Parts: sequence; C-alpha cells; structure tokens
Amino acid sequence: MASSKASRLGEEYLERTRMDKVNAELVVLTYGTIVVQLCKDFDSDYVEVNKQLDKMGYNIGLRLIEDYLAKSNTVRRCSNFRETAEMIAKVGFKIFLNITPTITNWTSDGKQFSLVFDENPFADFVELPDDGRAQDELWYSNILCGVLRGALEMVQMQVEAHFVSDVLRGNDTTEMRISLIRYIDDELPPEDD
Amino acid sequence: MVVYSFYIFDRHTECIYSKTWLPSFSSADPSPPAGGGGGTTLRASTADDAKLIFGTVFSLRNMVRKLGGDNDAFVSYRTAHYKLHFYETASSLRLVMLTDTATLSMRNVLHQIYINLWVEYVVKNPLSPVEHKGGAGVRNEMFEMGLDQFVRGLM
Repeated sequence: MASSKASRLGEEYLERTRMDKVNAELVVLTYGTIVVQLCKDFDSDYVEVNKQLDKMGYNIGLRLIEDYLAKSNTVRRCSNFRETAEMIAKVGFKIFLNITPTITNWTSDGKQFSLVFDENPFADFVELPDDGRAQDELWYSNILCGVLRGALEMVQMQVEAHFVSDVLRGNDTTEMRISLIRYIDDELPPEDD
Repeated sequence: MVVYSFYIFDRHTECIYSKTWLPSFSSADPSPPAGGGGGTTLRASTADDAKLIFGTVFSLRNMVRKLGGDNDAFVSYRTAHYKLHFYETASSLRLVMLTDTATLSMRNVLHQIYINLWVEYVVKNPLSPVEHKGGAGVRNEMFEMGLDQFVRGLM
C-alpha cells in the first residue's frame, strides 16, 4: 500500500509541475567531465576518486533534500525505514533523474536494502578506462551514494551507502547497498546559565 | 490582519533570521501611536526574544507530540495580544510568525515561505553556505525582498 502511494506521489509531481528538463547528454557530459577531472587530479587513484565523488554528492544532498521536501509535498516524516526506501526510489529518483530503481534484498531487521538501477542516466555512453584497475576500483556513479547520505542526514537519519556492483564493471546489475546506522536526535537549545 | 514578526530557526536551534513589521514610526507618519516614550521601549533585545521564542515553541512541540502522538503537530498558540504560528519542516527548519489574534491559520503561508522563498533563494543559491551560522547566506536581497513583499501582500 505504501508502495503504490509513493509511486503515485512521484507521478503526481511530474504531472503537476511542467518541470524544466535538462538535456540528458548535457548531464552525461557534465558528470563525466567531473569524474575525468578527478581521475586526472588524483593520478588515477580511484579509491580517492570514489571518496571525492561521495563527498561532492554529500554536499549536494544536504541541499537537494530541501528541494525534495518542497517539490514532493510530503507533510510528515516516514514512519519507518521501509517507507523511506519507497520514497527515495519512487519519489526522489523519479523527480530528479526520472528513474525508479528497484528496492530489494532487505535484511530481516529492516535496516538494510539494495537499490538496483535498471537504467542510470549518468552512465550512458560510458566505458571505464582499460588500465586494468578502473574496472576493479572505480565506482563511476559514486556521487549518488553521497547524495543519499547527505539528504538523509538532514532528515535525521545517519546512513551508509555504497555500490556493490555496476554494469560498467561487467556485473549483471548496478546495485547500491544502503544501511541505516541510527536515527539522529533533535538538537537541544543550549542551557541558559 | 497584521503580521508583527517572523523568525527562522535552523536544526542547530540557532535563530538564523528575524524580521519585524512594526507600525512605522518614520517622520513621514503624521500620527505616531500615542503614549509611551516613542518606539524605544518596544523591544529590549531581539536576540533574547528569539531565544525565548525558540525555547517556548520547542517545548510546546515536544509536549504536543508526547500527548498527541508523533504525527501530531504544534500549530499555533494565542494570547490576549498576539498569536504565534509555528511550522516545522522534515529537515528541522522551524518557521515562526507572530500576528494579531484574529488571524486564521498561517500554516499554509509559512509553508509557502519555505518552498517559494527559502528553498528558491537561500538553498538554491550555490554560493550560500549550507549551514547558516549567524544568519550567513539568509540575508540576501532576493529572499528579503520576496519575504517583505509576500508578507505585506497579506496585510
């Protein structure tokens, strides 16, 4: 039930707003340029590139969440992490990338799930460099992990997100694993002396 | 309807924006309100007011949730002289507006301020900082003008 509600919200948004669209090739090229520049700056130290992409995503996420809240017209918090996953996949990704990743592989405690990306607008036309390392070390779309981490932190959820497979590396699917670490408490006003 | 003042508090409980729309005491005004020693006694310290207001709304919000469940929301309270309206986003941004007592719910107005002014002019400004320590990045021209126009349009 929650799932159909979430997809309806995503669809509704797209109908309600004649949203400005940006050319897909522009997105692919812009994002690609960032990754290439990072690879150059860090001498193809792909572990560091992953880290930088995640950090950039984090800073985007901190802001993007406000836009998400404004656009999605959600008035209340998700009551559990499963609902959060639905909203991420069916509203968040729908609004910003017009894709709906599949939610699977829940752990029994409901704190970890996977997003499987059937399509990934960032990765069109992309082939990883043939230097024998990129295929094993670079997570090309790692910025998305950071975005989720930043966005969820703003709504009081500390999460960890990382890719576990990527079709660019020759895997069958592109899968991101997301784990809830904890809910963050409200900050209290400083005590008066 | 009269709007007296407006405050924004961030998730770190800091007051990052405040504005008052008190009746004008400018020299152009032919009839300043009678009584008192002019406008000087009106406000001792805006910073203290903001702290008191935050303490109040924060406690009320917690109390409301305790009694009414997590989905309940503190909306407003009214005294003999004013009405305080409260709106909190999921990202823990708190908007507070003080109006006269006859004003109906301003929840929608505060929501509009959030989506049309805050998100558009503060959050989406790539050069404004993410955290608004001391109000940094909030006092930009677009936001202030937009807010003033919007609120004056209501009155």
